[in-house]
Amino acid sequence: MSTRLTLAVVSFIVLIVHGIVFYDQFFNRWEKHQTAYFEQARSLAKTDAERKALDDRSPRIEQTIVTQFGESRVDRCATCHIASDDPRFQGHAEPLRTHPYSEALGDVQRNGRWERRHKFTDFGCTICHDGQGRGLESFYAHGEDVFWPLPMLGYVTQDNWHSEFKSKLSGKEYMQANCAQCHTEDNFAGTALVQQGRKLFFEKACYGCHRIEGLSNGTLGPDLTEVGKKFKINYLWEHSVNPRAFQPTSFMPKFDLTDDELKAVTIFLKSRRGINFAETSLGQYRARLQQTKAEESAKPQSTAPTPARGEQLIAERSCTACHKLGDKDGHIAPDLSYEGLIRDEDWMMAHFREPKSRVPDSIMPVFGFADADFQSISAYLKTRNTSANFKSGEEIYKNLCARCHGEKGDGKGVTYLYLDPAPRDLTKAAFMNSKPEDRFLQSLKSGVPGTSMPPWERVLTEDQRRSVLTYVFQTFVKEPHPELKPHKVPDQNPVASSADSIHRGELIFLDRCTGCHGRKADGKGPNSLDIRPRPRNLRNSHFINTVPDHRLFDSILYGVQGTAMPSWIDYGLTQNDVGDLINFIRSMNPQVSPPSEKSPALTSQVKQEGICPECK
Amino acid sequence: MSTPTKSSLWTPLVKLPENVWRSIFRNPLPSSDLGRASTSFTNFFLHVHPVKVHRNSLKATYTLGLGLMSFFLFFILVVTGILLMFYYVPSTTQAYDRMLDLRGTVAFGIFLRNMHRWSAHGMVAVVFLHMCRVFLTGSYKPPREFNWVLGVLLLLVTLFMSFTGYLLPWDQLAFWAITVGTSIASYAPLVGKQVKFILLGDSTVGQEALLRFYVLHVAVLPVVLTALASIHFWRIRKDGGLSRPEEEDALPSDAATVAVVQAPAVVMATSPAAAAAAEPVLQKRHYGIQGLVRGPFTKVGNVPDRSTFAWPNLFMAELVVFLITVAGVLLVSLFFNAPLEEPVNVMHPPNPAKAPWYFLGLQEQVSYSAFWGGVGIPTIEVVLLLLVPYIDGKVAGVGRWFARERLLANFLFMTFVVVNIILIIIGTFFRGPNWEFVSPW
Repeated sequence: MSTRLTLAVVSFIVLIVHGIVFYDQFFNRWEKHQTAYFEQARSLAKTDAERKALDDRSPRIEQTIVTQFGESRVDRCATCHIASDDPRFQGHAEPLRTHPYSEALGDVQRNGRWERRHKFTDFGCTICHDGQGRGLESFYAHGEDVFWPLPMLGYVTQDNWHSEFKSKLSGKEYMQANCAQCHTEDNFAGTALVQQGRKLFFEKACYGCHRIEGLSNGTLGPDLTEVGKKFKINYLWEHSVNPRAFQPTSFMPKFDLTDDELKAVTIFLKSRRGINFAETSLGQYRARLQQTKAEESAKPQSTAPTPARGEQLIAERSCTACHKLGDKDGHIAPDLSYEGLIRDEDWMMAHFREPKSRVPDSIMPVFGFADADFQSISAYLKTRNTSANFKSGEEIYKNLCARCHGEKGDGKGVTYLYLDPAPRDLTKAAFMNSKPEDRFLQSLKSGVPGTSMPPWERVLTEDQRRSVLTYVFQTFVKEPHPELKPHKVPDQNPVASSADSIHRGELIFLDRCTGCHGRKADGKGPNSLDIRPRPRNLRNSHFINTVPDHRLFDSILYGVQGTAMPSWIDYGLTQNDVGDLINFIRSMNPQVSPPSEKSPALTSQVKQEGICPECK
Repeated sequence: MSTPTKSSLWTPLVKLPENVWRSIFRNPLPSSDLGRASTSFTNFFLHVHPVKVHRNSLKATYTLGLGLMSFFLFFILVVTGILLMFYYVPSTTQAYDRMLDLRGTVAFGIFLRNMHRWSAHGMVAVVFLHMCRVFLTGSYKPPREFNWVLGVLLLLVTLFMSFTGYLLPWDQLAFWAITVGTSIASYAPLVGKQVKFILLGDSTVGQEALLRFYVLHVAVLPVVLTALASIHFWRIRKDGGLSRPEEEDALPSDAATVAVVQAPAVVMATSPAAAAAAEPVLQKRHYGIQGLVRGPFTKVGNVPDRSTFAWPNLFMAELVVFLITVAGVLLVSLFFNAPLEEPVNVMHPPNPAKAPWYFLGLQEQVSYSAFWGGVGIPTIEVVLLLLVPYIDGKVAGVGRWFARERLLANFLFMTFVVVNIILIIIGTFFRGPNWEFVSPW
């Protein structure tokens, strides 16, 4: 009996679900909209023939297949928005409402009747609005589904977008990104925000890192040619506000943009979808050919290098989007105000051509400007050669040091996030009091090669340097500098460098050091993320080659106080082991001839052959 | 008014419907035991079943209907799958659009997809539960060892079926789940990379992989699964029906037959010793084809037992299980839509990229050790499962849930089950970006 009862109950459930599903399938919401439209249209109809025609119509899926613009698209929007082209429905509520006519859209009025410039039968709907053309339910069709990559631009915000920015991401102006798919002219009236965004792309020096085909050639950041195809506007906006919101490892600087600027940048980036519908692939190819030709012909015509031209270039190319120069400060990269006293022309030119050749972990992109332009900029920077008359150590610190080392001396100045190695935390007494004063004076005088710490020798007199050091010790270290007993370390490495010794050193390195310094010895081992200050990059030749053997011995054998580097003598490394290690580290950092001599030849070769001969 | 001539002319016509009916269904609705036996015996679809079935096999609390449920889920999958095939194109440019079409325009499209997706997930779960039932009741013991092996193979084929189907929608979920899944396969020693390459037809998931997974999913694997399932069913009959406690066989069906019952014949070949003892007697006699048939059968009228006629008891029970399965799938499909994420974006993996839920235990293991978690331990587990009836072949505690005699075996098996379920739960709910531990609430 219970079997039969179960049978009856379950059969009933199956029946009910069938009923619901069939009802759902046969009574669509769009049918109701269409029926409503037919009724209202009949009441508006003026002739019997019109009424007859309406009577003959029954609800059906209305679709436009657009084949002219890119991949063919199927737009079924008119299934609900059936009155979009019927001028009598202008005052009605959506979805039964006439699509507005506007002269801005190119529509014209003839004999009291509007004529559309963009006929829906030719263009469809999603080409301007985005959304999901095939969808027949508003949730899917309008792209409210969080997984849909193309929500209706300016109309729909998806549920999982950051609530802080959501309200800023709607508005018809976002559709300009789609207008620009066809209207690629730089001065087109309908795409004002795209143009503003493009301007900002150069003003904020985005072009330095990012490539956009036909606009810029940066290589440091991702190619943005198709960024509008890959990301929704919420991503573009939020990533511009905080580059580490979606990608914690991003080293893109935070640029301070106003909401209006952000909107323009977002719309500009959204308009970058790779292929413009306005251009055929052949047309694009031709355009690219002409562009490269124009570039080549433009190069030799660069004006002769003069400081005035350099100053102009610095303004034009937005160097101060990152650097500080006089009053302008991008809060990202080093201060260039005294550059003429700090660096010579060789250093500047080598650094321009390849910043990593001087500061191996620099994030400054390689700007592919002509050599004459670089020379102009160098010439201008060389004129920045008057030191201010700083009076006290405090004044010096506030003006020259605080931008990196921080107002509080904690190594967290405005630029610290973008400098690798990071500025020293001057409040860490354990470190500051474990090194002799001479070493700090040396760093102040000659800088720390391979890092962003510049030589202050010509900016500050010796007295000034001493006074700023005193200020640092009094204000940040706060403990009296103790009398240091030098450790027993050899002056020179007693182990002669040989293939055997290097091999032994490598084995010790792999065994003991890779956890922090990494298998590549670049300071990026698995533990490095949790360590402040970060482990040294042992492949930073500029740095390693200026560190004498006895300092390496001291750091390895007795550790570096105030950092994660332990005292390895406690872990069983003998002096000979460390000798092998040092030979291994030195073997990775050969004394190179200044690369400034070979790099122009190399660059030109790369430009000619399109591939770097060193990697070939 | 009718004359004899007229009647002879009209009789065939009048009787035509009845004759046609009779030619197809040889038996009227049975009212006697003979009729019931005959109905089962002469009907193609019913003759897969025994004519008489043990009462123990009909106990819902014993089988929980899980085996049938997995079969019916497979049946739903075949039907909905064939309907979906009318709309699907295994091409990277079209597959996702077809999913949108199914969701937006095809009549019943979204419902078909829901049913197919949820039945597939359900089948993986139910097949696994069925395996647990068989183990916990000790039903893999002789003479059912090989059917257990077939069952384990069926579980693997089911998993592979579900896995190959996962790629077909060609959305982010599919793409990255298969990327993760096939990378797990590539950790296998020696052949790992080759297996991955053969599966994908390329070094990454792309058009070739989609086509291969499609063919495997709609042609190869269903045939393999059908074949294995057929043997699985056939073996149930040949191994003497579903397992049951030994003492059940000794029990008379009712008091009237007690006097007649002597030694039960069912133990004939279950123990080799008994078979050997019977040999000399058997040698002296001549046998027809019946004599070759060995094994403990449920024979009609032969064995005094607690069996009952399949018609209507078994068929009714099967119908109930079928309807419960259908109702379950329908209800879930009504309330939950099968996920469809963004179209594939090769450059932008979701973080974390997760495999289908039934492989998340594996993925969790892989996060500790690529080889051991992804290949070593699963291989050992499968081999152990296959060998279970040969390691633990002692016939004791068969046919009862959690029999005390099988405490150790059940404990070990439950440990395996619970550990895997915990790993799956951790992988599903407790893993966030970079596979770091997150709290789901």
